[in-house]
Amino acid sequence: MAHKNQIKTALLHLVIVLALLLSAAGIGYLLRGLGLPEANIVIVFFLAVLLTPLLISSYAFAILASVLAAFLFNFLFTEPYFSFAVNAPSYMITLFIMSIAALLTSTVTFHARRNERSAKERELESRALYALTNLLTDAKTFPEIAELAADTISKSVCAGAACLCFDENGKPEDSYIQCLPGQAVRRRTEDASDILQRLSDLDAGFVAGPVFYDWPIYAKDSILGLIRLPKEKAQRLSPAQVRILRSMIESTALAMDRFRASLQRIRLHEETVQERYRVNLLRAISHDLRTPLAGMMGTSEMLLGMTDSSDPRYSLMEGIHHDAGWLHSLVENILSLTRLQDGMLAISKQMEAAEEILGGAARYVMRHHLGYDIEVHAPEELFLVPMDAKLISQALINLLENAVKHTDPPGEICVSVEEDRESRSAVFSVRDRGSGIGGADLPHIFELFYTSHAKESDSRKGVGLGLAICDTIVKAHGGTIWARNRTDGPGAEFVFSLPLEEENHG
Amino acid sequence: MGESTHKILVVEDDRQIQSFIGYALEQDGFSYLSANSGHNAMSFLISEPIELLLLDLGLPDCDGMEIIKRVREWSDMPIIVVSARDQDREKAAALDAGADDYLTKPFSATELLARIRVAIRHLRRQSGEKPQAVYQVGELKIDIEKRLTYLQGEELHLTPMEYNLLALLFKNCGKVLTTQYIIREVWGVGYGSDTQALRALMAALRRKIEKNPAKPRYIVTEIGVGYRLVDE
Repeated sequence: MAHKNQIKTALLHLVIVLALLLSAAGIGYLLRGLGLPEANIVIVFFLAVLLTPLLISSYAFAILASVLAAFLFNFLFTEPYFSFAVNAPSYMITLFIMSIAALLTSTVTFHARRNERSAKERELESRALYALTNLLTDAKTFPEIAELAADTISKSVCAGAACLCFDENGKPEDSYIQCLPGQAVRRRTEDASDILQRLSDLDAGFVAGPVFYDWPIYAKDSILGLIRLPKEKAQRLSPAQVRILRSMIESTALAMDRFRASLQRIRLHEETVQERYRVNLLRAISHDLRTPLAGMMGTSEMLLGMTDSSDPRYSLMEGIHHDAGWLHSLVENILSLTRLQDGMLAISKQMEAAEEILGGAARYVMRHHLGYDIEVHAPEELFLVPMDAKLISQALINLLENAVKHTDPPGEICVSVEEDRESRSAVFSVRDRGSGIGGADLPHIFELFYTSHAKESDSRKGVGLGLAICDTIVKAHGGTIWARNRTDGPGAEFVFSLPLEEENHG
Repeated sequence: MGESTHKILVVEDDRQIQSFIGYALEQDGFSYLSANSGHNAMSFLISEPIELLLLDLGLPDCDGMEIIKRVREWSDMPIIVVSARDQDREKAAALDAGADDYLTKPFSATELLARIRVAIRHLRRQSGEKPQAVYQVGELKIDIEKRLTYLQGEELHLTPMEYNLLALLFKNCGKVLTTQYIIREVWGVGYGSDTQALRALMAALRRKIEKNPAKPRYIVTEIGVGYRLVDE
């Protein structure tokens, strides 16, 4: 069929060439009849040769026309007439120049035509691309983007194009959209692992499958989908078509990526809002707990003062007072936690005098646990450490209260801070002379709600919120915390270090 | 204690706290009035000879800060703020508005009474005709007229700035002074809010007056708020 067409166009071109040359010959005779010099006839033939490439976009025919023109002129208009012999050698030169000129002009015309054609193609390309980009900006959903891309590619590059989307985990979806002329069809995806397998050893810009050629749509670091072209058609794509296909895939990738990113932003925002709500709720509840706790603690304290310590009611009231105190420290810790979660991205560090923080924490614990005398050691020089003062105070209070819990008064509890020049950090330490930490507990001691199994059936004492919060606070400061048993006798030691240099929490 | 007839106004909307504070005050020989709202409090403040105000910042009908500001328009009575909020900014704001001291809920009755006694003592001192010239806390003594300080009877060598800081704390003995207030008083208004300089000055002063600067006997740190010269 194609072959036949080619013969047809060739014949048509030949007819055009012959018609042009015969008209030139006719005009030539007319001019000679009018007695005009031969040069004019040469010009007429020349004109015919020039016209050929304008009418026929074929190099071969342009050359054929110029050669034929030369011979025809020779045959009809040079003496001896109706023969290819030439008397005057000057005619040979005329003919030669004419041929060269014809060739040159036809080459130029041909180039011009070809440039024009590729310019037109480019314009079509960019118009199609522009249209696609425009459509994609308005797309509201991910499948809509896929359908628009498939549809546009189907219309402007290769009919029957399809688009298969990948989910956020990089897995192909169950079905894909194919745009056939006049209708879009949803088809079931073949074996997903097959597709992934083929993609993994991708080397050209596309993957050749049994039915489709697949062109991946890539985001920066993930795959968003595939543009699938029917195999036979894809094989016959011209370089220009491949070029436009690539551009279209590029803009589809951009649109899909943008869509995914904004979706993620929205989701992240929702999560933050929810988290903030939770934190605010927790904070409000903890705050409201303080007022009744103040009442309970104050009242039980007053009652204790009114009761003789040998009275059995005394120990009952002491129980109330103690429990209220325990609830209070829980509330304080929860408040620290909300403070921490709230500003997780940027805790506000300021240069604080380490001695003041130590002194404050020791004072607080001694006020709440009468009978203990806590030793405080700080460097001779003023030692400034970047920290959130409230949070580090809370951490020290937790460690000191933990020490108090495991040591009988007056105890031998010591809190200290010193500079570690080597690691550029401040090392805080709380030591007691209690029973130490059981080997089984040591690795878990900072875990949330970890309860020591070793002793104390009193479960309230064991709810390990205090140490877990120390861990969170120290980590939020970019520091580390650890616990060990003392080597210089019985007792435990809790140590944490805070970096002295401000690092970028990002 | 019987001779103490100081009238204290307790502004607190929680009944339980109200009653235990009342009981504690009675035990200690103070007479008191109770108000459970800002409106109530204002009418007592206007009609009764109140000498000390114990004020909960979170009242049902108004912000406690408003009451502090209005009281300070006509009276220097000691104001002790009680608050369930632990936001440092609010504490500092209450102190800067004119409150003398603050307690964060929950607090013990012992602590509350100690603070009230300090405030009352302060009040007595102020009501004397001429400003006091010599103050003493523990082993630490300051003579304002002569600009001299003594520790255990020995004269201390303080720099002018250290002296100014210590004198300021002595004049406001027992009261929490906010960092901003101290900077304004010691360095002057235009100095800005360089807390670092105050920390350094405080560290230097403590090294001259405290046995262990990290476990101060005289000047204690109220973390995030300011400093207080302990009057106990």
